[in-house]
Amino acid sequence: MINELRDPRKTFGEAVMEAAEKNPDILVLSADSSSGSGLGDFPKKFPDRHFEFGIMEQGVVGFASGLATTGKIPVFAAIAPFVTARPFEMFRNDLGYMNQNVKIVGRCAGLTYDQLGSTHHSIDDVAIIRTIPGVTIINPGDPVTIRKAVHAMINHIGPCYLKIGSPKMPVLYPEDVDFILGKGIVMKNGRDVTLIGTGTVLSKAVAAAELLEDSGVSVRLIDIHTIKPLDRGLILEAARETGKIVTVEEHFIAGGLGSAVAEICSQEYPVKMKMIGIGDQYAGNGPYEELLRQHGLQPDQIKEAVFKLLNN
Amino acid sequence: LERMDKREILSLEFTALNIRRGILRMIRAGEAGHVGGALSSVEMMTALYFKLLRIDPENPKWLQRDRFVLSAGHKCLVLYATLAERGFFDKSVLDTYGALDSKIPGHPNMHKLPGVETNTGALGHGLSIAGGMALGLRLDNSPARVYVLMGDGELAEGSNWEAASAASMHKLENLIVFIDRNKLQISGPTNEVMNYEPLDERWRSFGWGVRIIDGHDFESIIDTVLQTPFEKDKPSVIIADTVKSKGLSFAEGKVSYHYWKVKPEEMEMAERDLDRIEENLKTKMEEAGL
Repeated sequence: MINELRDPRKTFGEAVMEAAEKNPDILVLSADSSSGSGLGDFPKKFPDRHFEFGIMEQGVVGFASGLATTGKIPVFAAIAPFVTARPFEMFRNDLGYMNQNVKIVGRCAGLTYDQLGSTHHSIDDVAIIRTIPGVTIINPGDPVTIRKAVHAMINHIGPCYLKIGSPKMPVLYPEDVDFILGKGIVMKNGRDVTLIGTGTVLSKAVAAAELLEDSGVSVRLIDIHTIKPLDRGLILEAARETGKIVTVEEHFIAGGLGSAVAEICSQEYPVKMKMIGIGDQYAGNGPYEELLRQHGLQPDQIKEAVFKLLNN
Repeated sequence: LERMDKREILSLEFTALNIRRGILRMIRAGEAGHVGGALSSVEMMTALYFKLLRIDPENPKWLQRDRFVLSAGHKCLVLYATLAERGFFDKSVLDTYGALDSKIPGHPNMHKLPGVETNTGALGHGLSIAGGMALGLRLDNSPARVYVLMGDGELAEGSNWEAASAASMHKLENLIVFIDRNKLQISGPTNEVMNYEPLDERWRSFGWGVRIIDGHDFESIIDTVLQTPFEKDKPSVIIADTVKSKGLSFAEGKVSYHYWKVKPEEMEMAERDLDRIEENLKTKMEEAGL
């Protein structure tokens, strides 16, 4: 049901179990991380398909690569910075360069490990993983699309990075929404400005769009759940038809969704842009919603940023 | 697999010589390369590809094949020369070393040539990948084994010890590692750069079966592999003592030949050295009445 709050990790874990039921090649690898990733039931249901490694993310990425060479589909979920920043070279060489069919899942991504501080925030993962040729990056913004993203990434052959948050998040889509890797979803059509959201703060962009509509602004709202490959056609169409783009992400402005959108628009159809995200600083620590406010990611702040762009 | 007679050992010696000639052929084309650690591993590679590995050059993706992972990817010259000698691809490929978009880059790329199983080069990656292969093959009840060649300088990378723990924890009996202990790395003697001794005890404490051998002695290499797994439910490591740049008299045991930028007179010296090895082998053949 729309706006119902669901746990993203539980949703993710259930989707992996569904997929594993159908596909015997799916294995789950854990760096002491399965139970915290919503996969606590996986070893109970599939004891021969769950492998524990302890806290060694670099090693697990290498093992995943080797397993994939034998036709297995390893799924490795752990706290987001520990499957991206820490084993970056293994991700790049063993998964990307070797083009192995491994599914890496960063959970508690963005600022959702709020008070645990900057070691546990993952606000650079998109920036660094995006540089690896051939890797698909999926950042779904609600529980319905998290589930669909799991099935889509299992069906896709090639290395994938899926990121999900931690606190319960609202359902934004009906269960039968079309979810296609690499295709953004136009959640609302509009003429004055395009608001592009992704991942954990998609719901903030949705709320901001409603505030803007109430103020008489016609907003085109797009969910970019696949950051790589990016839906170039949809973004250029929005640039041409609305002339202004605002991106919203729980990530550094450097290298994230906004950068990816700007890389396309600045070269092919330059438009005014505002990128809402985290600047060149450590993000701080504290209650999640307050952290989002510190970085301008609450709906009223997004609305103000859009106004500023429109009136500039 | 059985133990070998004298004729077979001499035949492997000749193959090893051809592989050394292949390495020189690439160096001639590219004018430089990581020759030291390639030459120290020639006998291990010869034994693997001409005696031990269950492989089919006609069918390089055969599902039941044994896997070989070159963890020390900079030793790629010996991999290319061995694969070419074994018939995975034409030896003319060796003449492209150093050329734009050559199929034999300075670190191996599995997408470019048949027989190359992994993309290595960054050190400390191969053992984890090989561990994953061994686990996957075991899940499929495959009889295939996974062999890895590591350098000794590479052992300072912490990621190796993650992999060593995991391979032991998951009882990867089908995993066999060679360590090419040539005792030299770019900055000097390996144990002065970062000491790893006692190396055998270190691996034993990580739950591996361990042997130490002469890495240039075919009987010793092959007999030792035939004894794997050394201990039930444990992966095996063979610490092979070798001489860096083995076969080139002017370069043996010298750090400066880790990466060889060839001076004009050196290529001739190298060829004379290999010719001398050939003469010696021929004499041995005659003495043995073969």
